[in-house]
Amino acid sequence: MTPMNTARRTPLLTGLALVTAAATLAACGPGGGGGGGAGGGEPTDFTTAPTGELSAWAFDNADDVGEARMEYAAEQLADVDITMDQTSFDAQKFTTRVAGGQVPDVVQMDRRFVPTYAAQGLIQPLDACYEAHGVEADERFYDFVVDDVEWDDQLWAVPQFYQPPAIILNTRVTEAAGLTDEQFDTSKPDQLLEAVAATYTAEGGTPTRLGFDPVATGQAGLWVLGMGGQLTDEEGRPTLDDPSNVAGVELLKQITDAQGGYAQVKSFSDAFDTFGDANQYVTDQVAAQVNAQWYPNVLSPYIGQVQLRAVPFRGADGEPFAVAGGSAFVVPAGAANPDAACAWMLALTELDAWEAAGEARAATREEDGGINTGLFTGSPEADQLVRERWVVETGDPGFDQVIATYYDVLDYGRTYGASPAGQEITNALNNAVTEALLGDATVEEALADAQHAAERAYENVTAEG
Amino acid sequence: MTHVAPAVAGGPATTTGTAAPPRRRRRLDREAIAGYLFISPWVVGFLVFTAGAMLWSLYISFTRYNLATGATTPVGLDNYRELLDDPRVATALGNTLFYAVLAVPLEIAFALFLAVLLDRVGKGAGFFRTVFYLPKMTPAVATAAIFFLLLNGSNGAINRFLRSLGLPAPQWLVDPDWIKPSIVLMSLWAVSGTMVIFLAALKSVPRELYEVATLDGAGPWRLFRHITVPMISGAIFFNTIVLTIAAFQIFDSAYLLFWRDQGSSAPDASLFYAIYLFQQAFRQFNFGFAAAMAWLLFVIVMLVTVVQVRFGNRFVYYEADR
Repeated sequence: MTPMNTARRTPLLTGLALVTAAATLAACGPGGGGGGGAGGGEPTDFTTAPTGELSAWAFDNADDVGEARMEYAAEQLADVDITMDQTSFDAQKFTTRVAGGQVPDVVQMDRRFVPTYAAQGLIQPLDACYEAHGVEADERFYDFVVDDVEWDDQLWAVPQFYQPPAIILNTRVTEAAGLTDEQFDTSKPDQLLEAVAATYTAEGGTPTRLGFDPVATGQAGLWVLGMGGQLTDEEGRPTLDDPSNVAGVELLKQITDAQGGYAQVKSFSDAFDTFGDANQYVTDQVAAQVNAQWYPNVLSPYIGQVQLRAVPFRGADGEPFAVAGGSAFVVPAGAANPDAACAWMLALTELDAWEAAGEARAATREEDGGINTGLFTGSPEADQLVRERWVVETGDPGFDQVIATYYDVLDYGRTYGASPAGQEITNALNNAVTEALLGDATVEEALADAQHAAERAYENVTAEG
Repeated sequence: MTHVAPAVAGGPATTTGTAAPPRRRRRLDREAIAGYLFISPWVVGFLVFTAGAMLWSLYISFTRYNLATGATTPVGLDNYRELLDDPRVATALGNTLFYAVLAVPLEIAFALFLAVLLDRVGKGAGFFRTVFYLPKMTPAVATAAIFFLLLNGSNGAINRFLRSLGLPAPQWLVDPDWIKPSIVLMSLWAVSGTMVIFLAALKSVPRELYEVATLDGAGPWRLFRHITVPMISGAIFFNTIVLTIAAFQIFDSAYLLFWRDQGSSAPDASLFYAIYLFQQAFRQFNFGFAAAMAWLLFVIVMLVTVVQVRFGNRFVYYEADR
């Protein structure tokens, strides 16, 4: 052992503690020295003939649809030199870039973040952008999509995509159990629970098939809002402890308790090979499951191995109901070229861009022999165009009915509600649902705890200073 | 031996008052300058990126910091009072303490066990050392993905094994009672850095001590208890302190298992202090409060370390002291 005397060793170890603890402290320093900040981009009138350079970030998911739209938008902005950063959006990275004054001109992010960044003054309002280009947001996009990005009477983003949820049925299982599609009706809990009991199977207390996977935490907002609840008030303040929220969580508890309890359902569904050859529909691990619109794309290669139909998620009033998030483009405060940013974002979401995307997707499907399930863009006109022109019969009536169901529920879309604490409200709700379904608290207690957490987050984000 | 430091500082050259010859003194000065130059990148980095950031975080812990404008509004001790008012701070601190108390002894024991095994391997020692060290080289994201599957309560390999033995199979990632043990399991997987330090310490234990004790009739346990442990007590002490500090700062494993997907739920049992600090800073932009949280953690880590140093020194064998 290396000789070392005690007197020298103690400060050495203390120094070690100091340095490692300092790493934690250093990590929470937002900028250093102050003064950074985004704040001060020059006011602009969002000219329709932009020039110069445009930098965009968080375009990590550019598939054939994305690339076709970008190509189209680049053609419209011939005098703009566009550079793309295709790494994914990261809240810490964005914050750091803003603090350092090194912001891109356009960022793609989840719509739930938009009011949060707006409340902090980290992104620019875009009403003038829409106006300069003569675009009426309510005409280009679904109302409920616009609602996601409207806060404090201003528009803060250009939205894209709205992929609603519905219930995909595994008819090989449901028909074997003598069930009809109509029995998976979320507005009729007793009937639904009978269907769950008829299709759920287990061995030694561990599920081998779920009768109905409600995706309790991933779709908690759908269940609560669908059953008549409300997550926020008109200002975006959380209302998780509103008594109307109890019904949705209680129905979730009944569904999971009927299948061995939340822990069993969660563990079983976590083990699904969701994107693989042994997915839950191929292997009959579910009779029914709530899925967003993109999931039929995943299942389309398995036609012949799966037997599918779909029914809408129904609200407490018995009407179809859908709520979904999606992504949006924003312009950070302090962006160097907001004119080009505005023009580019709007070009990416205009009808011709979606038409180019539809063509690209059709070409891809023709090449790979896959099924075109359509595009769910956030724009009603674009959705209609793509459906009419490129969504054709697949030869599998069940799969065609699945695609049609998702198009049908678009008419019943809703917004989660824009709130500066949107993401924290979602998290708090998810935690409350988990707590209640595990039986660690009553539904009312769990929602009350969630309200405290969400309220605190709301106060933090909206505090002056 | 000549005392060098005072000469470098320009004070009396030696304790006897005899000055070093001028040529030697110049050489020592040059050596000192060279030494300072060699360490200057680290010193500059520390001052700018660590000490500077620390001072800044101390300052903003007494303010409300607006990221968009860079403006700070003094709020006095409000952020520190908030530490007491926010129940999730207590939850996060409790989870972190629980984890540290559970993880550190198990990590020490497991790392020592592996090191003893490796110390005894003759043929293929290099191969086994490499294999045992591989988990340390695995990216945390990959490890978390693997453990997400291993710990699945329904079909995970660990529960399948437990069921095959007729043992209860916990819901590791869902049941709040089992969430922290599941993260401890993941920490044990990456314990090979600690193991290497133990292995180095074991290799330095004089073999003749074992030979003499064996001649006196000592069995394997007594050899381990009365020779190995005292002789590597310095390494045990060092690893305990390092692992304790790391345990208080646990972030990546819990974040990757429970908090990465913001659309899903993460039970409160997985809310560790550093995760809550991160959320406050980068999701709620509550930088002043996050800085106050960081300073509270700093004080706690310092106190725990001081206690460990004072208490641990009584049980550590230092060869140089003898």
